[in-house]
Amino acid sequence: QTEVEETLKRIQSHKGVIGTMVVNAEGIPIRTTLDNSTTVQYAGLLHQLTMKARSTVRDIDPQNDLTFLRIRSKKHEIMVAPDKEYLLIVIQNPCE
Amino acid sequence: MTPGKHSIDTARAANAGVWGTGPPQAARERSWSATPHSVANMPISPPGSRKQPPSVGLTVGPQVRKSISFISTVKGTQTKGYAGANQSRMAMSKTMMILPEMKIEKMNISSPKMRDTQVIDVNGVDVTPRPLYHPDPHTVTTKPNKILTSQEGSLGSEFISSYSLYQNTINPSLLGQFTRSALGSSTISKSSVSTTESIAEDLEEPSYKRERLVSYTDLRVVRTTPEKIVTKEDLEKNIEIILTETETLRFFDLPTVMVSVESEEAEKVNQRNRNYETLCKNRAGNDLYVERMMQTINGAPKTKEVQCHKIIMEDKGIMSTAWDLYDSYNAVELSSSSVKPSKIESSKANIPSKDRDQRVPGSTTEKNSEASSLMDIENVILAKIHEDEEDHSEAILKSDKFHQDLFFMERVLMENVFQSKLAAYRQLPVLKEPEPEEPEDSLQGEELEEVEEEVKKEEEEEIEIGTEQSKIPANLERLWSFSCDLTKGLNVSSLAWNKANSDLLAVGYGHFGFKEQKRGLACCWSLKNTMWPERIYQSLHGVTAVDFSTGSPNLLAVAYYNGSIAIYNVQSNSNIPVLDSSESPQKHLGPIWQLQWIEQDRGTTGDDKREILVSISADGRISKWVIRKGLDCHDLMKLRRTTTSTNKKGGEKEKKGEALISRQAPGLCFAFHPKDTNIYLAGTEEGHIHKCSCSYNEQYLDTYRGHKGPVYKIAWNPFCHDVFLSCSADWGVIIWQQDNIKPFLTFYPTTYVVYDVVWSPKSSYIFAAANETRVEIWDLHISILDPLIVNVANPGIKFTTVLFAKQTDCLLVGDSDGQVSVYELRNMPTAIDSGRGDVIYKLLGPKSNHSG
Repeated sequence: QTEVEETLKRIQSHKGVIGTMVVNAEGIPIRTTLDNSTTVQYAGLLHQLTMKARSTVRDIDPQNDLTFLRIRSKKHEIMVAPDKEYLLIVIQNPCE
Repeated sequence: MTPGKHSIDTARAANAGVWGTGPPQAARERSWSATPHSVANMPISPPGSRKQPPSVGLTVGPQVRKSISFISTVKGTQTKGYAGANQSRMAMSKTMMILPEMKIEKMNISSPKMRDTQVIDVNGVDVTPRPLYHPDPHTVTTKPNKILTSQEGSLGSEFISSYSLYQNTINPSLLGQFTRSALGSSTISKSSVSTTESIAEDLEEPSYKRERLVSYTDLRVVRTTPEKIVTKEDLEKNIEIILTETETLRFFDLPTVMVSVESEEAEKVNQRNRNYETLCKNRAGNDLYVERMMQTINGAPKTKEVQCHKIIMEDKGIMSTAWDLYDSYNAVELSSSSVKPSKIESSKANIPSKDRDQRVPGSTTEKNSEASSLMDIENVILAKIHEDEEDHSEAILKSDKFHQDLFFMERVLMENVFQSKLAAYRQLPVLKEPEPEEPEDSLQGEELEEVEEEVKKEEEEEIEIGTEQSKIPANLERLWSFSCDLTKGLNVSSLAWNKANSDLLAVGYGHFGFKEQKRGLACCWSLKNTMWPERIYQSLHGVTAVDFSTGSPNLLAVAYYNGSIAIYNVQSNSNIPVLDSSESPQKHLGPIWQLQWIEQDRGTTGDDKREILVSISADGRISKWVIRKGLDCHDLMKLRRTTTSTNKKGGEKEKKGEALISRQAPGLCFAFHPKDTNIYLAGTEEGHIHKCSCSYNEQYLDTYRGHKGPVYKIAWNPFCHDVFLSCSADWGVIIWQQDNIKPFLTFYPTTYVVYDVVWSPKSSYIFAAANETRVEIWDLHISILDPLIVNVANPGIKFTTVLFAKQTDCLLVGDSDGQVSVYELRNMPTAIDSGRGDVIYKLLGPKSNHSG
């Protein structure tokens, strides 16, 4: 457990990372370093996107599944590690 | 007659599909007599005339209208052809399609107009039938059909129309006529039809549609007989008539109602008849056959009201996707196996929610359904299990999957930051962001930038070395460094690559000097995460040597300053070593300076290569460790101090009478011959390098004297197996040739201790040396006086270890601050392949033995 905490801390202190959050399947944040409203917004939007992405991947081949999702935008990159029960979201600015 | 009464029979007839009758019924019994009457006026068109005035068929008027009369005239046919239009249609069509036997046809040809047809029975009575149907002259017939090409329009239509009027009985009667060829007169009717059929090809008569014939509901018969003027030639023309016999079509079959007295059934039939007669007699006045009224008792009705729950309708839409179907199909198969996981999950869920009350069963089942259901979790949002969600969230954080996701995420983040560096490492083209590039050394800070600048300045100075190809001199470009908080301040003592996974690096941290001893650390670093090691093995004593096994690449051997060896399994996450030599009675008593896994041929015994762990330590022993039930060691060699008396081959004379504290010489390094694993070299603190063999554990094969200080590292040339390299604390690096106990080439670049030397895996001329202040890369091909590249360290930091990367042109340098820096060798002069094995000869030629 402490390893988990340590890893989370390391990720948060990584270069360029703006925020880290762990939300459960309903969008309720479990751990977050951003404020609540932003977290809830991110969680809701990314949840839907993840569902869609997973649906797409599985439509093409039902035995496949989504493991990781990265969205690179002009300002930063959003990385989502989806699961049935939670979403791990990290927002990073890769170029500082 | 009403259709209703006949309907039963009709149905029966229809069902039977036979034109015959059922058992004769009393009411309907008729006397069937074979009458020569032909039923209908068969409109027969003369071959010549095409027109048929509708009035032709009007001769038989009133009689025609009675269907019953027709029945009577018809022999044997009692079909109440009330059968549906289909039936009669079928009949009709059949009639129309039938081509009766030949003999009939003969008569057909000669048959004149209908008007002229005269049917005369045996008694000479004119029984010419009169037409049934009097068609309306104004009706227009539809376009004719080719099916009945021969059918004369008006005649046919009249025929049909007569049928249509009387919808029923006519057909059977006519049919009856057709089938009974015995009727002479009837043959005419038949023949009329057949005529038309037979001369179908010749007559270019427009025929009426078959449907025409069978459309009884339509009383309007349209006749459109096209006009065709018959010329004299036509009349005289020979008309070919081809008569063919068709198969016998049976469309009416009336089983006889008469049975011969002599037949077998006669008795039964008689009996039946008698029964029937008695029945008829009894019928009159019989109570059974009287119409009576009865009154039933009707229950008193009562209204009762019932109210049911409101039926809630809900609209649900779902998008049926390929994966949804797949999941649903698999759910059926996995339903048995999913029971188990759901049970396990329920037990897990129960533990955190043990203290809750009634909600627990409901909520855990909910969780079960969540866990084992394959539906979208979004639909299962329930507020009442919110309390349990807290526990659930803890479970999430502790779950393995989360851990793994974190692991991946960290690596992804690393990749984002270090992508260009890693690409350079792996010698892939470096992708450039469209935004301004990040500065290379942003990780570490300014001091290293200074180093870079210094290096560049030095490189500029060294341009006179003159690389033949590129104008930019060879240089080291710093990519990144492995370091973290844990390793800060520790001295890197050894580096080792994993034999299977070339991305994995083992680094041992521990100080060399006795006074500087701190805790030790052995870490496994992965290239993909340069900021945190994958595995951390801490210990009280400093780590002096690490090595990965070749046979089982997951085993890492770590040697400590206190002389013990631990073997870790890096596949597992645990920090506990798999094997430990601390309890072995024969463990080393001094720090182990080098550790290596060697694959040794068993040779004579015929076994395949077995891997052994060889260690050399300051207590003067070279030991071989074998993993049986624990680590067990076996001495390969005891290094004894050599005095001049034992070595007569020359060299310097040592002072006699020197009091030797111990007869053992501390060993610092060893190197097994790459080809012959029986031979190895060992370097001692005295400065001697001994060539030993595993077969002899008492005597050295040879001693190489050249160094004046402890020999810290020996390395065989990977390409030229005669040559080896050694470095020592006497600031020198010496190249030896195996057969020559005198040094071959010596280098004294600086006045600092050289801690490590290593040959480049790519070229036999290049080697790297790390002394306290700088890392040098020598290329013997270019110059033997000066190093090719020099990389100066920061003040206060000593470079202690070097290691070349295997596949790429990169160099790893460990320093005394706990950092392992990765440098990329840039613009190296291309290695000449032919020079791999010739290093000695090439150097031997122009430069003879350089005495060091």
